[in-house]
Amino acid sequence: MDLDKFKVHGEPLIYGAMVSIALATIGILVGLTYFKKWGYLWREWLTTVDHKKIGVMYILAALLMLFRGGVDAMMMRLQTAAPEMKFLDAQHYNEVFTTHGLIMILFMAMPFIIGLMNVIIPLQIGARDVAFPRLNAVSFWLFFMGAMLLNISFVIGGSPDAGWSAYFPLASLEFSPTVGNNYYSLALQISGIGTLITGVNFIVTILKMRAPGMTLMKMPMFTWSVLITNVIIVFAFPVLTVALALMMFDRLFGSQFFTMANGGMDMLWANLFWVWGHPEVYIVILPAFGIYSEIIATFSKKNLYGYTSMVFSMVIISLLSFLVWAHHFYTMGQGVMVNSFFSITTMAIAVPTGVKIFNWLFTLRKGRITFTTPMLYTLAFIPIFTIGGVTGVMLAMASADYQYHNTMFLVAHFHYVLIPGAVFAVIAGFHYWFPKVFGFRLNERLGKHAFWWIIISFNVTFFPLFFLGLMGMTRRMYTYSEESGFGPLNMLSFAGAVGLAIGFVILVYNIYWSTRYMPRDTTSDPWDGRTLEWATPSPIPAYNFAVVPNVKTRDAFWAAKQDNVPLFEDKITKIHLPNNTGKPFILGVIFFFLGFFLVFSMWIPAIVAGVGVIIMLAAMSFDRDHGFYVPAEEVIATEKKLRGETV
Amino acid sequence: MIKQLFPIRHVMGYLASLVLSAAALIVIYGDLSQTANMTVLLITALIQASLQLFVFMHIGESADTKKELYLNIAYALFVGLVTIFGTLFIFVWGWYS
Amino acid sequence: MKIDASKPLEYSTEENSNKIFGFWVFLGAEIPLFATLFTVYFVMVNRFANGPSGKELFEIGPVLIETFLLLTSSFTIGLAIHAMRHGYKKAMMFFMGITLLMGLGFIGIEINEFFTYVHEGATLQTSGFLSSLFVLLGTHGAHVSFGFLWGAGIMIQLWRQGITPATANKAFIFSLFWHFLDVVWIFIFSFVYLKGLM
Repeated sequence: MDLDKFKVHGEPLIYGAMVSIALATIGILVGLTYFKKWGYLWREWLTTVDHKKIGVMYILAALLMLFRGGVDAMMMRLQTAAPEMKFLDAQHYNEVFTTHGLIMILFMAMPFIIGLMNVIIPLQIGARDVAFPRLNAVSFWLFFMGAMLLNISFVIGGSPDAGWSAYFPLASLEFSPTVGNNYYSLALQISGIGTLITGVNFIVTILKMRAPGMTLMKMPMFTWSVLITNVIIVFAFPVLTVALALMMFDRLFGSQFFTMANGGMDMLWANLFWVWGHPEVYIVILPAFGIYSEIIATFSKKNLYGYTSMVFSMVIISLLSFLVWAHHFYTMGQGVMVNSFFSITTMAIAVPTGVKIFNWLFTLRKGRITFTTPMLYTLAFIPIFTIGGVTGVMLAMASADYQYHNTMFLVAHFHYVLIPGAVFAVIAGFHYWFPKVFGFRLNERLGKHAFWWIIISFNVTFFPLFFLGLMGMTRRMYTYSEESGFGPLNMLSFAGAVGLAIGFVILVYNIYWSTRYMPRDTTSDPWDGRTLEWATPSPIPAYNFAVVPNVKTRDAFWAAKQDNVPLFEDKITKIHLPNNTGKPFILGVIFFFLGFFLVFSMWIPAIVAGVGVIIMLAAMSFDRDHGFYVPAEEVIATEKKLRGETV
Repeated sequence: MIKQLFPIRHVMGYLASLVLSAAALIVIYGDLSQTANMTVLLITALIQASLQLFVFMHIGESADTKKELYLNIAYALFVGLVTIFGTLFIFVWGWYS
Repeated sequence: MKIDASKPLEYSTEENSNKIFGFWVFLGAEIPLFATLFTVYFVMVNRFANGPSGKELFEIGPVLIETFLLLTSSFTIGLAIHAMRHGYKKAMMFFMGITLLMGLGFIGIEINEFFTYVHEGATLQTSGFLSSLFVLLGTHGAHVSFGFLWGAGIMIQLWRQGITPATANKAFIFSLFWHFLDVVWIFIFSFVYLKGLM
């Protein structure tokens, strides 16, 4: 066997990464053994089917990936900070911007959002769990193993290097002969299957498991946004599944889908990628709209303005999101009719989005606003996102786009959309719901420090890119000459990136500091919340609600507090819960190996792993596990303890 | 027992699908125009798909999820058809020439 | 587990009816999946480079047998569900067995068809058209093969445990899957084979 293809040659940087990965792994293994935590890890986390723990694991993985993607970003900004920098060579620069995009979208933004929805959605709708707790664990482990598969590419075999959109023919075997894009097709495939299952799971959960009385139009806005997001996931991800499978066939089995000869059509890849890719943008942005809606209503002490129009605008966005994809390749060669059509549909999306912006502003109007950390992120989101939206309309005009296409202007635009539209939202949601999960708040002073660092540095980093784009700097160029005049603005952007990094360090330090020093909160409702998740104790007991709430209005918990409407009327009875199971984790591990063997075209091990997958599926089908009951007395005792009463 | 095992609606559905498949063969053995052929294929395929959906899969039988199921299929068809015809619009009918 | 006796067995618990609904949503996802494969096929259909076209390649005989087998198996799996609702375990197992055997026959013919194509020099690597043809047919065939294994697993559980809320639920969901594969085949039959031979 040819061992050479596993090796990545080159820079001290790569060897440094290898050594640090090895050291970190050894450190974790030794630590687990020394503190005798293997059993704890297995029982409480690896085998869990509890939606809250799965959500926490999603968020931990997302934070880890945020670090990885952030380091990529820093390297890119450093490399372009001055003309003719020698920090990275062209190949590594290619790998870094590719993995930055992939990780930030698919392995940071998506899992962060899925993590928050895992923790919060069952609570918001008054359910004891998601519809299929075991499948939920399968989802998580497939996502996680996909993420790991992509990450090891950096040190084993080489990372994908054809951009996160992996356009053909560049991504074909001919022009990208390393295994990098094999990793791309397989890692994304595995985590994509996990995401698809999540989509099915949450649609069923939201549609079928709401507390009695909670009609669709009484659901909290975050729940609505998550429902619509999951609808988009279910119908958009199959397109990616097919596109990735065809890419794999082209690269591993020599088929002729996206080749330049023998009837292949390279542009078909771009087409399929964006049929999925544009809805994907809304998959990460719609939940953010939901999070902001909750936060604005809570901290303005008002009902959300225009609830019905909020719902309808999201439904319309979800439909329109499938009708705009060709605006990503106006310059590819299709005719005027095509570009006009997609130009109009693209601009049409600005209408429902504008409706939402005005609804938020009207909710703020005459509200009693408290400027907490989550609220600050929300308030910053509105103007910044509007800049992103307006430049989006500029890009939507097909003829003008011939100027902007693939310049830094585009890069600035989508960072102005995705960072306020996804990253600020998950950070805001993280601060907002943190006390629900862990029972104490994050420190507000540190949180606000981090906020100002992040907001100001964000603009310093990305605003110059608009001008660089208009000056003619294309995206993805790894260096430029001094005469181009791109230097000063790039240096400014790098300075901003450093500020962003500082902001994120403060944010992480805040988690550490708050864990040690913040007072524990026994009220379980630190923000004076409106929705059902604040009606259960924090930290949340395994069964979520001792008694299933009876919902009569929107913002049921708020109504219960204001008008003394009782939420929990029934008696406590025994509660059914599912058992933990290790099978989803094992399935994930087998998928990881299946992916790894396919990446390196090791057919026999791959077939063995494939059979392993089928055996695991059969084992899960034959499983006759009916879960267990928590007796009523135990529920009563737990409730008393969590609410701070003595037993 | 036989009536219970072979419900008449079901048997009729099966026979109809066989007849429709046979009828579609006219496009290769008959002598119709291209447009007529495509129309025949579309109509027979759509009727057959609906037969499966309504007669065999009982999509309408569960009262509490009926509306959701129809919406689900409608949305899926929307995305599927947009993908097919949008792509053909881009690459075939609307290609710059 | 609360069992609601007014509903058919496969819907009788909340978990069961959630599973059926969830599977419908999954089938909803399968529609864009196959739609995308059809998209690729329609874009590629005239791009046969130096390889054969559909008209030169397709033979109607085996395709008709395949169609007959799948249509009939879709009918028999429906009969199995009817038998299940009346509690006839033996009849149900019989119809399900027939369904799976016909599925196996279908796979056999399809594999044979693929071998014939390859023998005639029409492989996955030959042209864009053939790549898209093989992958479209192959994805459907893989679904049928997976369905065969899945159905066999359910039959074992039925045989051991009898018709219970759990096994009835699984069998019903399997029947949805099998009918859906038939729907996909109708479109392959019409818009790949018949249109190709037109």
